[in-house]
Amino acid sequence: MDFLIHHMLRTSAIRFPEKEALVHGEQRLTYSAVASQVAGLACGLREAGLQRGDRLGIYLDPSIPQVLSIFGVAQAGGVLVPINHLLFPGQVAHIAQDCRMKGLITTTAKLATLEKVLPDIPSLEFVVVLQDTETPDVALPVHSFEAFCQGAPLCSWREVSIEKDLAAILYTSGSTGKPKGVMLSHAQVIAGSSIVSTYLEITAAERILAVLPFSFDAGMNQLMTAFQHGGTLVLINFVFAREVVQVLLQERITGLAGVPTFWSLLAQPSSYLQQHQLPHLRYITNTGGAMPQPVLATLRRLLPTTKIFLMYGLTEAFRSTYLPPEELEHRPTSMGKAIPNTEILVVNDEGQLCRPGEIGELVHRGPTVSMGYWGQPALTAQVLRQHPFLPPELGSDEKVCYSGDLVKMDEEGFLYFVGRRDTMIKSSGFRISPTEVEAVLFQSGRIRGAAVIGIPDEVLGQAVKAFVVPREGEVLMPETLLAFCAEKMPRYMVPKALEVLEALPKTPSGKPDYPALRRREGY
Amino acid sequence: MQDNTVSTHIKDFIWQHFPLARTRKIVDTDHLLEKGILDSLGILEVVMFIEHEFQIILNDDDLMPENFQSICSIAAFVQRRCHDSSAH
Repeated sequence: MDFLIHHMLRTSAIRFPEKEALVHGEQRLTYSAVASQVAGLACGLREAGLQRGDRLGIYLDPSIPQVLSIFGVAQAGGVLVPINHLLFPGQVAHIAQDCRMKGLITTTAKLATLEKVLPDIPSLEFVVVLQDTETPDVALPVHSFEAFCQGAPLCSWREVSIEKDLAAILYTSGSTGKPKGVMLSHAQVIAGSSIVSTYLEITAAERILAVLPFSFDAGMNQLMTAFQHGGTLVLINFVFAREVVQVLLQERITGLAGVPTFWSLLAQPSSYLQQHQLPHLRYITNTGGAMPQPVLATLRRLLPTTKIFLMYGLTEAFRSTYLPPEELEHRPTSMGKAIPNTEILVVNDEGQLCRPGEIGELVHRGPTVSMGYWGQPALTAQVLRQHPFLPPELGSDEKVCYSGDLVKMDEEGFLYFVGRRDTMIKSSGFRISPTEVEAVLFQSGRIRGAAVIGIPDEVLGQAVKAFVVPREGEVLMPETLLAFCAEKMPRYMVPKALEVLEALPKTPSGKPDYPALRRREGY
Repeated sequence: MQDNTVSTHIKDFIWQHFPLARTRKIVDTDHLLEKGILDSLGILEVVMFIEHEFQIILNDDDLMPENFQSICSIAAFVQRRCHDSSAH
């Protein structure tokens, strides 16, 4: 039985030692090679000082070493903290400080960009770097990733974790403040993998293309489902959608997951998708926002034999609903029903179950409800609460996840997304906190007021728009302020539009009136 | 259109729409993909700008990484395409 994340790799390596596990460009690794390198890495990490429950950051581009690190950290008994490669030093430092990171796996080049923030991470005791021409110049013990992977695993290996232990922290944004770390146990990650593979009917024959980052719950889930069943995971770095189509063909990909923006790119004529047939592409899944209807129509036309699964999930509960492909024809705008072994409730402001058609908050109950936010008990208590309807005789303290997403259910139990309860923005699959963007705008020292909202965008889902009030006497050029932002945060967070106002509309309590700003934009 | 006018137009657009290009003071020969100025979505924006600004319709074959490497290569590509269409 597989209790821990790396057990899935171990089992697949026993069942299919010579089968292709990972492919990235010209590199191909079998399950036995992956298992042996992961075992070496786990030993190396323990020798470097990693102990049960220590947090280890993985700050790498999508690559084979990134996958080896995920399983290596788990096997060593550590907690893996995948850091999106698009993040800037300031955000990486926040994550490292917040989770009191003990070690970091990265490249020399990436480590060099972190030089200025490293002194702000006192918990960091060692780094593991990938082979490079240059040796990093840091005041910490530096270990070689390759040397660890090639090391002989100890025969006296002792497992230190149990399935209830924290396995991963995935950082994500909410409506306020800096990104928060969602904690997932081994059991939760494995439950997510088992549930998703049940309805996607994943088998060892699968060849899954990973375009989503592993720092994103759906991306990590793809990796886990592939390894759980002994399938093959193909990695890709791409700029043009046609590169994706080429890999779909060359690697005979059977499964592909993406966010709406990715599908918009793939549905462009320049992807060449329309010139090819992809009979081996068994399924595609969308998550991270609603797929635009024209894009969905194009994909259905171009991929007539591929099953399209529309999925919904939030990191706090890992995965929640999906629309079975056979329902796509009748209700293409629905987010479907609960995933297997999961219950979805729609609860109104009075705390009662909603009637069909009534708008309420989506509440998730099941084995993938996370352990909450790392180091944030108050925030956790807002999102993970007691089940509202269990008989008191059970004496249960089971927590369900209040998603903050407003939905309604039709007579047949299918769910439809209505909007967010709060001001959180979702752009190209990323969750963006308005206050985090506002904080960066304030750092410029040129403004005395800022409010950031999301406005509908065909490709991005939502685009970030900022309203700012200059300081007295300040003549503000929007380009200058945006250029300042571009140095401080990744492109997906930088406002697409910035408008200078004399004053912000305020609520009676003196906070920016976000609904008024959205109305001002016509939404 | 003069070569330098084309590249100035493209540079203005990129400096305006990709704020990092402005802060990093990107020059015409800098590699836009490697420097992280453009990504997939960024290239789409550049394509839409080129089609609108220079009144050319890009073919699928035009969307090659080498055409979008730098401001120089985008400008050279636009020149070539403008020349092709006027020759027909």
